[in-house]
Amino acid sequence: MFKPLPMKQLCIQLLSDELPQAALTLAEAGVFSPGDCDEYAESFPEVPGGHYRELYHQASSRLQKIVNHIALKPPSASKTRMVSRTELAETNDWLGEVWERCSAYEEHFRALTDQEHMLQQLEQALDNFAALNINLSLLQGERLFLDLHVGLLPSGNVPQLREAIGLAGYLLFSYLENEGNTHVIILGPKGQRERELAAVLDTAGFHNLEIPVELQDQPERVRHDLKKRREALAAEKQERMSAMLACGDELRDRLENSRDLLIMAEPFVTIEGAVRQKGHLAIICGWAPAREVDQLQSLLSRALENPCQVTASTPPRALHRMVPTCLPVNRLSAPFSTLVKQYGIPRYGEINPTLVFALSFIAMFGTMFGDIGHGAVIMLGAWLGRRTLRSFTPFAMCAGLSASLFGLLYGSVFGYEHLFHALWLPPLSDPLYMLSMALLWGIGFMVVISMLYIHNRLVSGEIYHALFDTNGVVSITLYLSLLAGIYNLYQNGQFGLLPTILGLLCLLSLLSFKLIETHAPPGERMLVATIETFETLTGYISNTLSFLRVAAFSLNHVALAIAVFTLADMMEGTGHWLMVIGGNLFILVLEGAIVTIQALRLEYYEGFSRFFSGDGKEFKPLTLSLEGIK
Amino acid sequence: MTSSNGQTYLKTRAAVMSGQLLEAHDIDTLLQTSLPQLEQQYGLQGLSEQRIDEVTQTRLVERGLINTLMNELSILLRPLGGRARESLVYWSRKFELYNLKALIRGKLNNQPYDEIRESLHLLPALISLPHEQLLRTENVPELLRQLEQTAYQGIARQARQVYEEKNESFSLDATIDQRYFTGLVKRARSCEDQDQPAMLKLVGTLVDRQNLPWLLRYRFNYRLSPTETYYLMIGSGRHIPVDLLKQLVNTQDLQQALEVLPSLPGCDLTDKHSIMQVELAMNELLVRECRSCLKFSRSAVARSLAYLMLRELDLKQVFAIIQGRVMKLDDSLIRQAVDRQPEVVHV
Repeated sequence: MFKPLPMKQLCIQLLSDELPQAALTLAEAGVFSPGDCDEYAESFPEVPGGHYRELYHQASSRLQKIVNHIALKPPSASKTRMVSRTELAETNDWLGEVWERCSAYEEHFRALTDQEHMLQQLEQALDNFAALNINLSLLQGERLFLDLHVGLLPSGNVPQLREAIGLAGYLLFSYLENEGNTHVIILGPKGQRERELAAVLDTAGFHNLEIPVELQDQPERVRHDLKKRREALAAEKQERMSAMLACGDELRDRLENSRDLLIMAEPFVTIEGAVRQKGHLAIICGWAPAREVDQLQSLLSRALENPCQVTASTPPRALHRMVPTCLPVNRLSAPFSTLVKQYGIPRYGEINPTLVFALSFIAMFGTMFGDIGHGAVIMLGAWLGRRTLRSFTPFAMCAGLSASLFGLLYGSVFGYEHLFHALWLPPLSDPLYMLSMALLWGIGFMVVISMLYIHNRLVSGEIYHALFDTNGVVSITLYLSLLAGIYNLYQNGQFGLLPTILGLLCLLSLLSFKLIETHAPPGERMLVATIETFETLTGYISNTLSFLRVAAFSLNHVALAIAVFTLADMMEGTGHWLMVIGGNLFILVLEGAIVTIQALRLEYYEGFSRFFSGDGKEFKPLTLSLEGIK
Repeated sequence: MTSSNGQTYLKTRAAVMSGQLLEAHDIDTLLQTSLPQLEQQYGLQGLSEQRIDEVTQTRLVERGLINTLMNELSILLRPLGGRARESLVYWSRKFELYNLKALIRGKLNNQPYDEIRESLHLLPALISLPHEQLLRTENVPELLRQLEQTAYQGIARQARQVYEEKNESFSLDATIDQRYFTGLVKRARSCEDQDQPAMLKLVGTLVDRQNLPWLLRYRFNYRLSPTETYYLMIGSGRHIPVDLLKQLVNTQDLQQALEVLPSLPGCDLTDKHSIMQVELAMNELLVRECRSCLKFSRSAVARSLAYLMLRELDLKQVFAIIQGRVMKLDDSLIRQAVDRQPEVVHV
């Protein structure tokens, strides 16, 4: 609970042919994290499975694209089996064929959409022509001396095209602009340069618009024709979609089988960096929790046809930075563990901060938000919204419970402080006492955090840092002697001999350590060391004072309630009760959010930043990806 | 960027960074430097010790140097916002366009996945395309469909039409280049009043360098018609007026075109006998313009862009030297590669 699980470094020796099966078994066990095989590079020079991986990636990419058109049922846990390279290749080929069909459908659909767009543009052009008093027959058909084109192109290309075709004696007139396209009429002399024009029009993205011959005489008929064409296009689109759906129904079962097959092939692809081979012999390297090693060994023995050798070794301290950290998690601690991971992962061997975090967060939230009624509402809300909150339900429940317990201590129910007698005291009855309690809490918190830092440095073998660094033994002694001196000063007007001697000794030791640690020219070294020593001292003081906010927010909670009741008392009947309910909701939402943020801030900034670097490697076991192909 | 603090900061940054730019004698020193030292100097330590083939090694060097440029770009972008930032980011998109062209060419030629992937530059997310997704497409139409979902939608649409009509990569490349430079001019024009003149001057010179050699190539190497050649030119050049471009595209052979070339301020084109010579002269003009802008311009954004353009040219020289060393080329050959002016790259 206080430490990550002890880990073993595993080296599994087996026959190369059985690698996919071994990877599948390891993924099913869900307790093996692939590691690095570089130390065996000389004895096992080859990295196996290159072609297998390429097939997998191609097949998985194809499947991913196909599922955009054909929806599949979510995968379910079923009996697994090893996927051979031949089977994977066949699946990949078949998926290739299916994708070719889907791709053709996509392309056809795109072409139909383009045609629809062109039809729309044509309709707009015709509307435009209909309003003009010109003979449209002049724009149609072949002419003897005139080369004439009516069409549209991207508006950005018009000026350059106008200049360019001017060189060939052509003129460009634009008459309509919409959706980034400009409708143009291009005309010039017929002759040798017609082909030249065609090439440049293609490059400029010019689309020809066919002006119907009947537009001049029978505009209604033209409109009717266009409507029919539009309907035909819509019908064709609908037909293609139906065809695609039918195709999906026909292929769905086999596609789901292929998806399941890729899920089973994935573990061998994922462990790429953890596998090496030489001839028929192969090794898989990685990490597993010590308590799971025996089970893993027996699973492998059962799953593989030939014997395999599993060597489990305890990682030496020098390798601790490479060992993944596996934090034991249960339903209750899961949300707190997630919040810890938001800051970082503790290194292997360091203290697991989840419990400290959970207890101190719950306590601080309750202290700042103590009210039986508000706590009960939070618990009720968490229970009702458990489907949305999921793993964070226990987090909200604990926060609500803590608020209710502190409400009992403060004697507060929805802001009412006279309904029953407080078990401890209402915060506003003695604010100075509350502030001094918060200060004591802060001091305790800082001492615990420094102890954790010292422990973490000792397990990492960094004894000098455990003794002399900021947050080390010397720093915490300096902090405590300073506190003792201030207490003496407050009690009897004198700082005291022991705190003075201890404080000075610690200060000198800290300064000496900083001087040794700083690598710079003498003047700069002195300056940096002095500033850093001073910063250590002020850091402790400011961080401790930071905890005054715990009391400040408990007072704030009561003050807000008083404000709500003052406003409510200014009204009568329904207005009074509406104000009480609305005010309480306001306190719940606004102050609840602020208190959560403040408690997290104290944890992260005053706590975590002092004792753990958060640069550990998270234990990510190899698993079967039942959410589907990633 | 409107704040004078920001302008001053960026000018200082560009001035400090300009200390890294290579002078002629620096190139001589680099030519004498050993490969491990060169690697160390450009943050590519240990590259030659890795057991990889020459092509991969060269590619890693190229990636490393582009990475250096991208890191410097991100430093210069920090104080920038709005249109000024957009202009610098847009300039850097040329590297992603190299990737885009490589992807389209690869798909057109049915190159295998690994081969195309190896030829792509790794770029910051800000300008990068979803490479993996595009690489996994199985033909050009699918690639273009995917591209239509990205920031390169406009290019993809036009590229599709060129592909469908002509089905070859040259026209695609030319269209992509034209759209890129037109976009750059548009962004320079949209800069704030204090930056706009300097940006247009700089981008105009860049456009000239692109226009002139490529006009001669399109017209006389690729045999495009005068209209199509002119269409592929970018408007808003600084030294080469539109009338001259029109006159040039209407010439019938290279000799006639070279005779028409004028003498530009600080760059005499009248004595050039080949496209390569024209290209080198235009490059010199660009370098001179960039150096002048870096020293004297009132616009911090223009200074930053000038620095990035010069730095890119320098890194190309460094790349040529390292590539020569990796491939164990003769010293005289490497010297020849960098003694000539920086290579003009077709974006």
